[in-house]
Amino acid sequence: MTRSRSATLFALALLLPATIYILVIVAYPLVDTFSLSFTDASLRKTVNWVGWANYQKIFGGDFGTIIVRTFVWTFFSVSIKMIIGTCGAVLLNALVPGRALFRMLTLPPWIIPMAIGIFMWGWMYNGQFGMISGVLQNIGVLDRPLAWLAYGNTAFAATVLTDVWIGVPLVTLYLLAAIQSIPKDLYEAAWTDGAERFYRFRRITLPLIVPALLTMSMISLISTFNSFDIIWILTQGGPNGQTTTMIIDTYRTAIGSYKYGEGAARAVMICIFVSIFCFFYFRVVNKLSAGEAK
Amino acid sequence: MRYYGTLLAGAAVVLSTMAGSAFAEDKAVSMIQCGDAIAETYPDLIKAWEAKNPGFKVNVEIVGWAQCQDKITTLAAAGTPVALAYVGSRTLKQFADSDLIVPIPMTDAEKAAYYPHIVDTVTFKGEAWGIPVAFSTKALFWNKALFEKAGLDPAKPPTTWDELYNDAKTVKDKTGIAGYGLPAKTMDNTMHQFLHFVYTNDGTVIDADGKITLDSPQNLQALEFIKKLVPVSEDGPSAYDQDDMIKLFSDGKVAMIEGGPWVRNQVSKDIQWGVAPLPVGPQAKGAGTLLITDSMAVFKGTGVEDQAVDLAKLLTNPENQFVYEKTHGLTPLRPVAGVETLVSEDPSWKPFLDGIAFGGPEPLFLDYKGFQNALIDMVQSVVTGNAEPAAALTKAAGSIDQYK
Repeated sequence: MTRSRSATLFALALLLPATIYILVIVAYPLVDTFSLSFTDASLRKTVNWVGWANYQKIFGGDFGTIIVRTFVWTFFSVSIKMIIGTCGAVLLNALVPGRALFRMLTLPPWIIPMAIGIFMWGWMYNGQFGMISGVLQNIGVLDRPLAWLAYGNTAFAATVLTDVWIGVPLVTLYLLAAIQSIPKDLYEAAWTDGAERFYRFRRITLPLIVPALLTMSMISLISTFNSFDIIWILTQGGPNGQTTTMIIDTYRTAIGSYKYGEGAARAVMICIFVSIFCFFYFRVVNKLSAGEAK
Repeated sequence: MRYYGTLLAGAAVVLSTMAGSAFAEDKAVSMIQCGDAIAETYPDLIKAWEAKNPGFKVNVEIVGWAQCQDKITTLAAAGTPVALAYVGSRTLKQFADSDLIVPIPMTDAEKAAYYPHIVDTVTFKGEAWGIPVAFSTKALFWNKALFEKAGLDPAKPPTTWDELYNDAKTVKDKTGIAGYGLPAKTMDNTMHQFLHFVYTNDGTVIDADGKITLDSPQNLQALEFIKKLVPVSEDGPSAYDQDDMIKLFSDGKVAMIEGGPWVRNQVSKDIQWGVAPLPVGPQAKGAGTLLITDSMAVFKGTGVEDQAVDLAKLLTNPENQFVYEKTHGLTPLRPVAGVETLVSEDPSWKPFLDGIAFGGPEPLFLDYKGFQNALIDMVQSVVTGNAEPAAALTKAAGSIDQYK
């Protein structure tokens, strides 16, 4: 056996545990879900092959609206997280007194168990007992209690806001790390040349954190697209389905109504969209890596 | 050598202990009870049952209401069912059709011991698939102090929908407080609330032949009345469920709510309240209310089905069941000794007991979740102003046929 062949075998042996793990934990459920999507699996013990019927059924209903709503929800949520996260990172990088304290204060939304945080927001959105409605009534903005989760538009906005609250700390810290890696002499040179604060941000900070921004956007996009807990705990997809996203619809069908076949077809659709995002994510990462290598 | 000898002896002792415990281990009868805690009377009854059935051990798991039905169903669907579980009777038809539960043998005498219509709520294809364990009828609660504050007679609750609306409007106009508590959240009790109006207006959802009768003039009036109630109810009904209504009523933030007998135990002592039969609609031929039962279901494939049936019958026999009902403020399932004194001891029982005779059952659908979701969507679309009652009713009636 040659030395190189031996090294290859050794490398394959090292990869084997991870390969088995991925096959069992990721590949098998994926393949099983895909095959389940062509059946009428339900609580009944008999399972029949139904071909494309589940896919025809979901596109015959309001699934198109749900897909559009999912993209709108994801767009608003990711955009706001990225904007606030970038501003937060820039502010936390500034040399201000108590900077360490401010950095620490960004963490609670991320540290608090997600369900507890969401329940807390649920109470704040309550029209009768909630803080938001109470404060707005006290300062005269509202003339009566407003239940934020009761109306389609306000419930939608409330779920986005909660997702932003939970997601911003991660974005902020990630971008803060990216900003801190920018060489200080660039700022010093710009400052010497008389560049203003916003000019320095626009011409130095922003271009140099673009790789981090792109990477974080893609990660945030994938996790937000699949976000379940926030909407489920706050509205269960209501009122009248106006906060139902693809993942909520899939859960309601597969687990809530025990239509495992139809639910699997919906899960396959999510998988396709997430795979597209992942494809672009890896393209971005590869491009950035190639850029760094040069 | 001595070292290995000691090791071998130790291993032998450990193995013999393990084998001994395995052989001596009791067969488990698993049971899921929904709620926060086991019913007060159950531990002693279970101990007594175990003493009479050596070799069997009852393992009770308490699961919160929100997850309970899903957990029981998921376990059954995964082929690892629980032996005995507390389920909403509306689920029984689907479980039976899916061959997940066993029929419960019931003698004619056992059936006759229940109030009328109770056994119907657990019967499918001529067999009983569960043992009723909890029963409720619904009535109207009103806040006497708020009525007085609004200039209404605090001793006179509304008896018709028109009076209900007028009283609610008067309270809202005079006090600024919501006159009526309308739950319309994405929860099963939104469907129940709609059924209150259906059954108090001589409506039905499905007839004895299985024909969908939802799209009827009576039900249209019911849905139109819900729409009419929105402006005099709490802001944003689709954010509140029935439990929220009890809290709002207890806090004096709504003047009237509809609920089961347990509400009596949950309303704050500071509230002066009364309880009356549900107000009736323009088409009513008499009083009406909604009958709901929960049941003990015995799941197939555990190997202890007979024991589970036996245990369920002990827990729900007339004597034990009545103690459970009194403790939990539930409407009695059977006219046993003691029921006749309930009203004299506590007059607030009256509308709930009277309702048993004329109540309508929760409709049994094969895909009850599909049915439930269709009705919730219908009510929410009207409450949020996204649809007109006639269109919403026709749409829901068209969609629920697939779930029966």
